[in-house]
Amino acid sequence: MTQEQTNLLQGTLDLLILRTLRLGEMHGLGIARRIEQITQGTFSVKTGSLFPALRRMQEEGWIKSAWGESEANRKAKYYRLTKAGRKQLETETAKWERVALGISRTLEAS
Amino acid sequence: MTKRARSGWLPRAISWLRNVTHREQDEREIAAEVSAHLALLIEEKVRAGMKPEEAERAARVELGGIEQVKEQVRDARAGAWLDTLVRDCRFALRMARKNPGFTGVVVLTLALGIAANTTVLSWISATLLNPIPGVAHTSDLVTVARGDRSDHPTPPFSYPDLRDLSERTQTFSGLLGYHDDYMSLTGVAKPERLYGALTTANYFDLLGVHLILGRAFLPEEGTPSAGAAVIVIGYAVWQNHFAGDAQIVGKTIQINRHPYTVVGVAPRDFTGCAPGLRTELWIPLPMDRDVWGADRPAYRGTYWLNVMGKLRPGVTTNQAEAELNLLMQGIVERFPEYHQDSPNEISLDPLWRSPFGINGYLYKVLPMLLGLAGVLLLLACANVAGLLLVRSVGRRREIAIRLGMGASRRQIIRQFLIESLLLGLLGGGGAIAITVWTSRSLAAFFPPSNLPLTNDAHIDQRVLFVTIGVSILAAILFGILPALRSSGLPVQAVLKEEASSVSLTLHKGRLLSGLVVAQISLSLVLLVCAGLFTRSLQKAQQADPGFEASHLLLASYELSPAGYTRATSAAFDRQVLDRLSALPGVESVTLADFSPLSFSIHTDYLQIEGYVPQPHESMEISRAIVGPNYFRTLRTSVISGREFTAADTVDSQLVAVVNQAFVDRYWPDEDAIGKQVTDGRDRYTIVGIARNAKYRLLTYPSEPVIYLPIYQAYRSTQDTTIHLRTTGDPLTMASSVEETIHQLNPELPLFNVNPLSVTMQLGTLFGRVAATFAGSFGLLAMLLAAVGIYGVVAYSTRQRAREIGIRMALGAEQRGIYRLVLGQGFRLTLAGLVVGTALAVAFTRLLKAQLFGVSATDAITFASVGLLLAVVALVACHIPARRATRVDPMVALRHE
Repeated sequence: MTQEQTNLLQGTLDLLILRTLRLGEMHGLGIARRIEQITQGTFSVKTGSLFPALRRMQEEGWIKSAWGESEANRKAKYYRLTKAGRKQLETETAKWERVALGISRTLEAS
Repeated sequence: MTKRARSGWLPRAISWLRNVTHREQDEREIAAEVSAHLALLIEEKVRAGMKPEEAERAARVELGGIEQVKEQVRDARAGAWLDTLVRDCRFALRMARKNPGFTGVVVLTLALGIAANTTVLSWISATLLNPIPGVAHTSDLVTVARGDRSDHPTPPFSYPDLRDLSERTQTFSGLLGYHDDYMSLTGVAKPERLYGALTTANYFDLLGVHLILGRAFLPEEGTPSAGAAVIVIGYAVWQNHFAGDAQIVGKTIQINRHPYTVVGVAPRDFTGCAPGLRTELWIPLPMDRDVWGADRPAYRGTYWLNVMGKLRPGVTTNQAEAELNLLMQGIVERFPEYHQDSPNEISLDPLWRSPFGINGYLYKVLPMLLGLAGVLLLLACANVAGLLLVRSVGRRREIAIRLGMGASRRQIIRQFLIESLLLGLLGGGGAIAITVWTSRSLAAFFPPSNLPLTNDAHIDQRVLFVTIGVSILAAILFGILPALRSSGLPVQAVLKEEASSVSLTLHKGRLLSGLVVAQISLSLVLLVCAGLFTRSLQKAQQADPGFEASHLLLASYELSPAGYTRATSAAFDRQVLDRLSALPGVESVTLADFSPLSFSIHTDYLQIEGYVPQPHESMEISRAIVGPNYFRTLRTSVISGREFTAADTVDSQLVAVVNQAFVDRYWPDEDAIGKQVTDGRDRYTIVGIARNAKYRLLTYPSEPVIYLPIYQAYRSTQDTTIHLRTTGDPLTMASSVEETIHQLNPELPLFNVNPLSVTMQLGTLFGRVAATFAGSFGLLAMLLAAVGIYGVVAYSTRQRAREIGIRMALGAEQRGIYRLVLGQGFRLTLAGLVVGTALAVAFTRLLKAQLFGVSATDAITFASVGLLLAVVALVACHIPARRATRVDPMVALRHE
């Protein structure tokens, strides 16, 4: 995998995770399933990408985690947005919209 | 990335700290999360209707390997690069410890290669780069020399000329002048003969030396009419003679039995501004009368001052040189009578090649030695690269497994380079340990001499810094090839191979051979240089100096500081000669104001009867003041006429002897006997012609010399050296000579009591330094090359054991096998010799100027070095070849 691809996907994954967590706290599998569901399977989130991303975002201070119990009384780690995370989500969203707008204009123009 | 730096450096830093401090807890946390995730996945699948076992398998597939996920999380962790680095370093350390023999050989090889460089560098740092210890900024200081740029400059300026130049120059913020020579610290418990300088008043200020006590000279103390008996003393004098007395300023001390008031103490490091010479006393110029009984500042025709200048900011050396030449021309036009005998061209030099002191010689020798050391290091790198390459073959499986497990090529290269770096730094550490000792070796080459030579080469910050840099550079140099080679393995192929049958790919074999050829050729270069220097030194030592050095004892004394006048000096000298010649074991004895080959002969400006100098021809000619029987004692034959006798006194006709070179140059085809020569004050008649003798350097051509008799040509500033020819070992006479002098004057110190054969070592100092170091570099290079070729041939023989076994099973003779292996080594050696010869021819051309009596492409040296190297290489190949013939085909094949 080349560096550019990783960065692009990483940035996108971050945005998707932040967006998903806006709805409330969620464990890792829940986040993955929710993203798959919302994007109708366009993004399938691999565990090998999800956990490193969660870890990194935690270290950035965007999300926090705590152990809790799942619906079926299983132990699971739950993630939730922090204040910094909400702010990050706004910036990321704005940025993404700018990029998306730019790209779609380019595509339309040609 | 920038986004991150803006928003989250603090949380990241905190995370990093936590990651470092809570390593185990973090590991448990990661493990717990991943397994919880797996459990959730399984549960999800079970709920979707899968059987438990099926669900677990599917979940594991989806997860993609628990360990991998954990590893990916670890990599995302803040400070992950540090973890990797630590892990790689730990692994490198483990590899190094696992193979102590290999590590030892590599580290030793590198340590020696790097130490050769750091040793020479420590000398360069202490001399060329730090020409005036105690003066931090020397880049705007230049030396000002007049006349031919020669290896033995004489002080070029008179005081009035210097004063005129100083007053008019616009390009210099100041010019300083000094004259250094020995003076005696008297009136203390233990009188000592010390090197001191008469200086202009601006000396310390211009150099930027801040005295640790008291003050520098005042401008009025420097004017010729001043009679201020003031002195600045060196740190060592202050400590040794005055116990570091804090109240020393204002006290009176004695120099040459005259009182001086101490006005300052120089800082510890500062030992004057002639590189490599140790000055310890400083007195204003006008005190010449007191110190040396002369009044030289008064005369425009007396050239006795070394001059240095500080350039104004923004002025280039060329501009300053042009300006001084213009000013000098004006002076010459105004005072032609004082300048017509000498060339007046002025040249400026930066201090690293200052003609005053030792740098004038070192700047030619040291960079050359550094070049040789660089070649040695290159060779060491080739050697280590070969070793690493061979070892990496043994590690092919390990590497292939790591590549197969998903390590990237970059990771493998990084791992290899870190291992190399570790070896390089260990080598650098070893080199520093070696250099602590070898940096002092330059001083060990200085023979006892009448010069106050000083050398304080040691490992300074600069050397340390460069050592680390060189170690890293070397590590990259020898590590990169094996790293690139090993990381590009075809994983499948390697894993399928049986470990024992892994052989060199053709490519790698070629690379290894190339490294061996490089080692042989580089060692040939070094050996040729060593051979040339050694032969050149031999030639110099065997060269006929024109006198017989063995069985001659030298001992010096100085009369004028002890209060002797011209008349009492002559009487004393006579008594010395009478008493010494009466001693048993003495063949003959004489006196002179110099000794051969110790840079102590003086010069004079002469007018020669019947000879018209060319415009600007220097008439500065070597002048020796000698006693009766000088030529008989030194065994320098007098070709015609007579030599001096005790009857040549002030009351008889003034006479002189000249050497053959003098006659050849100034009176070719004429009879020199009876002609006359004037030295500015007196007219001497030639009564004898002597054979040429070398007094400066053995490697210089013979130059004209005039000899004047000691009782006629009195110089108050001279010291007198006894030349005693003994029947036995000259050193055994030392104590009776000292006794005899002390019977005549118990107070008079006798110094430099040494055999001439010892003191004349100074004349070959730089030749010996070059020969010794080039020699040891060469031998080391040969050893490394031998080990290198042995390693490669032995290794490839081991790899070919099966092939050899088959050959033998098919009936090949032992002799054939032997030839097969030796042939491989021989081909490599031959290639190395050819390449090396070409390199050496190119390289030795740079040494031409340093060689004496031997050409830079000396056939004998090249041939014998090539032969030596070939023999050594073949001996190194002989061992594996012999081993190959003992291969038991059954064992070799079964091993498969």
